[in-house]
Amino acid sequence: MDGVTDPKIGEFIRLDTDVLVIGGGVAGTMAAIPALEAGLKVVICEKGKILDHCGSIGCGVDHYLTVMDTGPEWDTPEFLLKHVPELTDGIVDMAVAGRVIREMPRIFRKIEAMGVDFKDRQTGDYYRLRSFGLPGTYHINFDGTDFKKHLGERVRKGKATVLMRTMVVQLLVKDNRAYGAIAFNFRSGEWTVIRAKAVVLAAGDVNRISQNASGLAFDSWHIPYNTGDAQAMGYHAGAALANMESVEATLTPKGFSCQGLNALVSLGAWFVNKAGERFMFKYDKKGENARRAVIADGVINEYLLGNGPIYLDCRHLPQDMLDRMEHTLQVDRYTLPAYYKQKGVNFREELVEVSVSELSIRRSGVYFRGSGLAVDTNGETAVEGLFAAGDCATVSGGISGAAVLGHIAGEGLVQRIRATPGALPEVDRKTLDEVRARAVAHLQQTDGLPWKEYEETTRQTVSDYVGVRRNEQGLRLALDTLHALARREPTLKADDLHGLMRVHEAKNIRMNAEIMATASLARQETRTGSSHFRMDYPQTDEVNWRKFVIVERGADGPVTRTLSTDQPLSAAFSRNNAAVAA
Amino acid sequence: MSALQKEVFNPIRINPETCVKCNLCDWICPGDLIYKEEDNRETLPVIRYPDECWYCGLCQSICPTNAITVVFPEQMVNNKTDVATLLGKVAE
Repeated sequence: MDGVTDPKIGEFIRLDTDVLVIGGGVAGTMAAIPALEAGLKVVICEKGKILDHCGSIGCGVDHYLTVMDTGPEWDTPEFLLKHVPELTDGIVDMAVAGRVIREMPRIFRKIEAMGVDFKDRQTGDYYRLRSFGLPGTYHINFDGTDFKKHLGERVRKGKATVLMRTMVVQLLVKDNRAYGAIAFNFRSGEWTVIRAKAVVLAAGDVNRISQNASGLAFDSWHIPYNTGDAQAMGYHAGAALANMESVEATLTPKGFSCQGLNALVSLGAWFVNKAGERFMFKYDKKGENARRAVIADGVINEYLLGNGPIYLDCRHLPQDMLDRMEHTLQVDRYTLPAYYKQKGVNFREELVEVSVSELSIRRSGVYFRGSGLAVDTNGETAVEGLFAAGDCATVSGGISGAAVLGHIAGEGLVQRIRATPGALPEVDRKTLDEVRARAVAHLQQTDGLPWKEYEETTRQTVSDYVGVRRNEQGLRLALDTLHALARREPTLKADDLHGLMRVHEAKNIRMNAEIMATASLARQETRTGSSHFRMDYPQTDEVNWRKFVIVERGADGPVTRTLSTDQPLSAAFSRNNAAVAA
Repeated sequence: MSALQKEVFNPIRINPETCVKCNLCDWICPGDLIYKEEDNRETLPVIRYPDECWYCGLCQSICPTNAITVVFPEQMVNNKTDVATLLGKVAE
């Protein structure tokens, strides 16, 4: 190892497989399932330890968005698809969204056949609710405490190899074709080189990227261990990203960034300002049933107008609805009842102060417009053999979006592998030595930069200048700070293997922040309220900006270009252009 | 960086009297915070990185003897932050 040694770092283990899945959440397990059914060998790398409980919904999930094709027109894929442009303010890849929505009934039934019980325990039927601006009652309210368990079970039965407490740090790509990745186990220190015929990125959204009310970085609405690993690795590997300028926020009890807004609004909760005014109708005729982006934007505006504090008001609801709400809320976040108890608040009878959550990069508070890796209708990115699904991909729709696009990617990679014969490239020894030397250097830093301090600077920078009030000066200031942080990355200090994992996460968060700031600077208009609010371009510009902002790796960092939303994002993939030319 | 230097609050409280030292909390923690020595029924789990807790309560939910309680810190329970301060600065 060229004299570079560290007792915490072991030798490389070599593993060859058909499919490598990075991230064992809903999207990753659903991608693994068609591959296993096709008889392929699958390796899954996951930072958690138990497949049944990892990913965003490791604790459980309370809603599942789907069309079911039960007869009425509103319940058909074509009806929902017709409304997607207005749901996304026109920035959406209709080809991929179309495939996802049309596949929804089939994948829903497949998951149901795996043993997930979507039916209401009281009525024995599906309990379907309307929320977030959707044009029908597409959200099934159910007790999904065991949802992930059934998916994990299916993958285990299929005999996938699951590498737990394992972080992937770099993809292996040759001639724009992915053939594996390099990973390390942050408990044992073992490094693994995995060669695969296809790779799926399914590592979720980007959290820990801005400040929240509690000031605790890991107190986040979505799982804080999702740190944009897929987006950063995909970017470095040459994949294209889109919609990265959009940020997403939700409403949370002030001080605890937890899930639950869907349960609240779909079951009839109100929000009121300090004057007791139910203000949401000022922002959307659907009131609290508006899209999440509009709800968050409304509350942000009320605070900026000086109308805060803002409160959750459930006092008008009947007891049976409050019972359902109370049960539903603890499915999504097990500790919420304990939080209210410790706080001494009864949300059934009292107003509860709410806050805007921290910002994240996911789908900007609207369904079907994901911020992340651009994919085609098979879930394949601009890099051949590299697939993406779930909250790291450009079509995202919560749990069902992850499940459906995950399954699409799983079927897509089976086709890709069958169509691409030939041996996998040998892994370059120099690459391995470099990756390992970088890791050892972080562990050997004694006076280096603590990852917490570095990450805190990223968060503060994003909150100040890349958040919900942007202008050119602020974005350039942010980019200066983020570039300066990047220059200090070699000095990042890891106290142990766990810290080495966090160092990699912190680097990925910063990379995503730089991509977000770059994309935000490019989009010279405002779109979807606070999701992308340019104070220097406060209007939505339908003439010039009905376009995607695409970000790719350039010689000196992220570069942007635009593509009309009349075209699918895959029209920008050079592998497609090469195929056409050939 | 004063916020980082404050004494670290431990939200995951384990009752040593009722803990059966079974490893489940270590296995289920999505953040790799809880470390329990394998194959040793004498040692208690250790919360090694308490400030990285998501407050998800998976450890509490899986504990076979209800030995774990998740406790929220003061800044989460009685939060005094002015929400407007989270909404960014306007660069001139």
